[in-house]
Amino acid sequence: MEQQNELSFDTLVIGGGIAGSEAAINLANLNYKVILVEKDLSLGGKMIHLSKVFPTLDCSACITTPKVSETIRHPNITIYTYSEVKNIVKVSEKKFTATLVKKPRYVDEDLCTGCQECEDKCPVVVKDQFQYDLVGRKAVYVPFSIANPRVVNIDIENCILCGLCEKVCPVDAIDFTQEAVDIPLTVKSVIIATGYELFDPTQILRYGFGKFKNVVTAMQMERQLVPTRPYNSVLRPKDGKMPDNIAYILCTGSRDETVGNPICSQICCMYSVKQAQLLLGALPMADVSIYCMDIRAFGKGFCEFYQQAIGMGVEFHKGKVAKITEKENGNLILRYEDIEEGKIKEVEHDLVVLSIGVLPNPDAKLLFNNPVIESDEFNYIKQIDELLCPPETNIEGVYVAGTSSGPMDIPDSILSAGAASACSANYIRN
Amino acid sequence: MEIKKIKTIDIIKEKRTVSAEAKQNHKEYNKIKKLILKSLESEAKTIPQIAGETKLPPDVVTFYLMTLRKYGSIETGEIDDMDEYFSYKLKK
Repeated sequence: MEQQNELSFDTLVIGGGIAGSEAAINLANLNYKVILVEKDLSLGGKMIHLSKVFPTLDCSACITTPKVSETIRHPNITIYTYSEVKNIVKVSEKKFTATLVKKPRYVDEDLCTGCQECEDKCPVVVKDQFQYDLVGRKAVYVPFSIANPRVVNIDIENCILCGLCEKVCPVDAIDFTQEAVDIPLTVKSVIIATGYELFDPTQILRYGFGKFKNVVTAMQMERQLVPTRPYNSVLRPKDGKMPDNIAYILCTGSRDETVGNPICSQICCMYSVKQAQLLLGALPMADVSIYCMDIRAFGKGFCEFYQQAIGMGVEFHKGKVAKITEKENGNLILRYEDIEEGKIKEVEHDLVVLSIGVLPNPDAKLLFNNPVIESDEFNYIKQIDELLCPPETNIEGVYVAGTSSGPMDIPDSILSAGAASACSANYIRN
Repeated sequence: MEIKKIKTIDIIKEKRTVSAEAKQNHKEYNKIKKLILKSLESEAKTIPQIAGETKLPPDVVTFYLMTLRKYGSIETGEIDDMDEYFSYKLKK
């Protein structure tokens, strides 16, 4: 592994999602020098993959991409994508050391123009993680069309080393000699904005995710609803049929002790209501039913948004789905208890969407070496004073932003990032 | 005299071998790609029609057909009379 000279900044922001970008821009605008480290290939986090936001139905990419561009172009922000931070140590007041690991893309980022000629010629196809496995991607690929930086990456584990990409690259950007680089880092404060993980629905065997191809996650449906969708329309993954009777199962992996996540994910009710409305726009003849324990419409405009869905014809059924079985034609039978009627019912749908919950990102706790960062009883970063100073952690000078501290929606993540950047600026200044 | 530039692929080949899984995956993709493209040579077809002709599972056809569509080998045709299945055709 290569070693580089030490870098020094005012603040280290870990995570380049909407919270991390917001925190970095706020600090950079106050003239602090910020280093933003993102483990993935592009900035934008989960938000850049969404279709629209609730309850306004504004285009998600139209909000995220200008923010990402502003972050990338800011003269006070240095960005490392496809990089990770480890061994953060608090040496003294306003002095943290860490190691930044820059992973190899096997592409010279300064030379690559993102023309994708290499991608066209690459003969390998694997599942595209940015389309949530609904379609394939090449072994050399631009992560997604609005990725920033728009630079290709070589998936070396799946590459067959044919060398075609290097042969066709018009600017000689392909570089298979790249190796991981360790860069020592010194900063005055740290903001954790590592975001959340999505619940893996294969843990709930009775829903058949993975086995029944017409059971999809809400993120897979989200991708089907964006303009850069994997298919030409909203279709069933099993056979390409246009669905006309779609079910949503809420609280998949949330408010469920049996899967170790007893808390509400706060976003699933509203993103399901949003998707139901978007589906009725995309498939005007379709029926959409939502199976839920209850609907939590607690935010500004949420209740009206829920009422709007009812007005559009979305059906809400109070009852937890116990089991899904598949028919030969790919349709799915949902067995559930209708709480309002007190009856066990079985209904047929041709596509089922699991409204999966959010989980803490386990990476956040592994960043710190000394002292150790504390987590709460749900494994999110512990907020020491949730009421008076929510961004504060157990380490003075380390602040938490966005969903690293718990489930929250996009506006709350941005607010939280604003608070974390204010606390960080205050810590450095005093 | 023109100096021949060293290709970095030759350097990594000395250090790294291709995994058996990657080789197998590549072979499978080529096989399925040929079957789908051959099936569409005669006329535009729906996914169940392609699956029936190639004896491939329909979900496998959906995945690879949509990948071929993404990379420009296939384009979407008309939807059937029942508004259920789109047909797909080779891109000329």
